[in-house]
Amino acid sequence: MSNIVVEARNLSVMRGQTPVLSDINFEVRKGEVFALLGGNGAGKSTTLHTFLGLLPPQSGEAILFGKAVHSDVASVRSKVAYLPEAATLYGHLTAIENIEYFLSLAGIKKSSNEIVQALDRVSLQKEAHNQNMERYSKGMRQKTAIALALLRETPVLFLDEPTSGLDPVAIDEFNQLITSLAAAGTTIVMVTHDVYGACQVAHRIALLRRGALVGSFEADEGGKIDTETVHAAFAERAAS
Amino acid sequence: MTITKMIAKDEWRYWWRSKLATSVMLVGLILIAGSSILTAKQMTDAAHERAHLQSEAEEAFFSQPNRHPHRMVHYGHYAFRTPPPLGIIDPGIDAYTGDSIFLEGHRQNSAMFADRQASSELAIFGALTPALLLQTLAPLLLVLIGYNVITREREARTFDQLIAQGMTPLKIMIGKGYALVGVAGLMIVPLFVAIIFATLDGEPFVSASLFMVGYALYLLIWCIGIVLASTMMRTPSASLGALLAAWVVVAILIPRISSNAAVSLVDAPGKIETDFAVIEAVSKVGDGHNAADPAFTALRANMLQQYNVDKVEDLPVNFRGVVAGAAEANLTDILNKFAEERMQVEVAQANIARYFGWLSPVLGIREFSMKVAGVDLETHHRFLRETEALRFDFVQSLNRVHAEKLTFADDANRSSNPEAEKRTRVSAENWKVLDEFDFSSLPANNRIENASMSLMKLVFWVVLLLVLCRFVGRRAL
Ligand SMILES: Nc1ncnc2c1ncn2[C@@H]1O[C@H](COP(=O)(O)OP(=O)(O)OP(=O)(O)O)[C@@H](O)[C@H]1O
Ligand SMILES: [Mg+2]
Repeated sequence: MSNIVVEARNLSVMRGQTPVLSDINFEVRKGEVFALLGGNGAGKSTTLHTFLGLLPPQSGEAILFGKAVHSDVASVRSKVAYLPEAATLYGHLTAIENIEYFLSLAGIKKSSNEIVQALDRVSLQKEAHNQNMERYSKGMRQKTAIALALLRETPVLFLDEPTSGLDPVAIDEFNQLITSLAAAGTTIVMVTHDVYGACQVAHRIALLRRGALVGSFEADEGGKIDTETVHAAFAERAAS
Repeated sequence: MTITKMIAKDEWRYWWRSKLATSVMLVGLILIAGSSILTAKQMTDAAHERAHLQSEAEEAFFSQPNRHPHRMVHYGHYAFRTPPPLGIIDPGIDAYTGDSIFLEGHRQNSAMFADRQASSELAIFGALTPALLLQTLAPLLLVLIGYNVITREREARTFDQLIAQGMTPLKIMIGKGYALVGVAGLMIVPLFVAIIFATLDGEPFVSASLFMVGYALYLLIWCIGIVLASTMMRTPSASLGALLAAWVVVAILIPRISSNAAVSLVDAPGKIETDFAVIEAVSKVGDGHNAADPAFTALRANMLQQYNVDKVEDLPVNFRGVVAGAAEANLTDILNKFAEERMQVEVAQANIARYFGWLSPVLGIREFSMKVAGVDLETHHRFLRETEALRFDFVQSLNRVHAEKLTFADDANRSSNPEAEKRTRVSAENWKVLDEFDFSSLPANNRIENASMSLMKLVFWVVLLLVLCRFVGRRAL
């Protein structure tokens, strides 16, 4: 059996009456980081929504572990952790309470020790752990949401702009985290505007423009994608 | 713990931590509990008072001295209606119609309040009965607490986070609905306590529990509606606006329209018009106090022929008493005909208004509550009919005494001859013709049967909204 985990096969998606994705094809293998780049409104988030079963394909298929997502949405969601765009958690709860609650919805029980460890991994400062999240900065909220996604310990991670709001140090730490997760076998699909970061961590990058794939890049033997090339391609083809 | 309960529990935690929701809940509870206590106290006081007044009135009637029986016809008598046990929650139309009637010969009085104080108290607190609070205020509080259960999550984008954990919109809706049902459950606690009191006061268990079920269904309708609106709207202010508008429509507008429609669809003759018609019809009956009234010529001829005598003085019965009885019977026939017509019009109007219960659950619960409690229009009509039967009975019994125990000669000469006058006074023993009056509710089974259509209206709303939830839940992303 092939080790393709995520696959778009001639995927087209509509939102209302307007086509948002048209005839997309890509494959992501187990343990790979796949970065989706594109201008605002290109259809990146829509791609993730489709793979989560939130939007039905108009034609073609969104495939996870060899099965069309829409044939069994529930089983897909238990295998995928998803970091929504501009992720927010409850302001009236602390980071720990938030994580406990959302994990319990996913049917997962973690000790507060494990939760604290995960928050440390995304380097959320200790003092904040037991503060209500309404007092968090944007980056602190983002870190907590990332910790939540990590704690799900799913084989697949869908991350929508995970580094938005993070400071440069935190971005570096995050990139390292992604690399080590992938090395451990987690498959990661990541939407980002950070071309440099994507080139650091991704095994594969796809450029999206108005719902169509307009370019794709693969890592060389050194495991890197050339930032200049992607930048140029983005400016030339993807900028709407 | 199931997903539903987890979501509900979290919502409760949110309400607990947000002062607004807790204070709204507290205010609601205090109001409903307070009005339950006040109304219960006031209704039981009134019930005791009326039972007391009833036996006093009977006592007074029985203890009248020996006198001419027709004086007792004019002396009259009071009949009171004691409220049913569930009246402590829903006084129904008792609050607007009277609870007592003065019964006397030759006329049908309308119901009135036993004492002015009771009526003014009812007018003040009548507006704030537990039934009214549960029917109109409780939904409003539920709206204030729950309008944003889902729009809040959308606005804060935590809705996505819920979806990210594998929740479906429908699951989220059910969880939020469950949380709201908990609030509704709290609001219904005072009702539960009041119902226990009503049961101790003699309300059968079946009707008492059905009463509870009806209100539970009603609040459930609101809980589902609130979750639905919160799912369909995109922002908290939109869901609040939509729900407040819905409240105004079903709690104020449709009830208004329903009574306007009832009045305009069923032609009711005007009051003055009817009064003149009654006077005209009654004038043809003849004066029962005057045996020589030409209206009774035929009666006289019949009686003379029947007993084969030439003069009324020779009849074995007092013709003046016979005339009084005949006049009363004819008069009552006419008055009853008008009364029945009026009641039919009222029932026809009420039935039209009740159709609007399919459009507004507020009307549905109002009808249900009054019918199960036994304080509806039909019960008031039954009170009027039963008191009328009582009135006719005692007046005719006195007329019979008048005809059988007095001689025509004494009766005719009593104003000129003091001795004859003395002989026309009959013993007070004869006042015992008055039956004791005890107006009681219909048996629980009948009341439940009467309420079944209104219960269907509530069930209809629950089902309709649940179907809508399924529909909206599938596409609410
Ligand atoms: N809920 C929605 N209903 C209708 N159209 C939508 C909705 N969300 C997004 N769209 C449209 O779909 C298209 C793709 O949107 P999408 O959110 O996938 O873009 P994106 O690539 O994630 O952009 P960004 O970088 O700004 O996050 C846009 O044209 C957008 O207007
Ligand atoms: Mg996006």
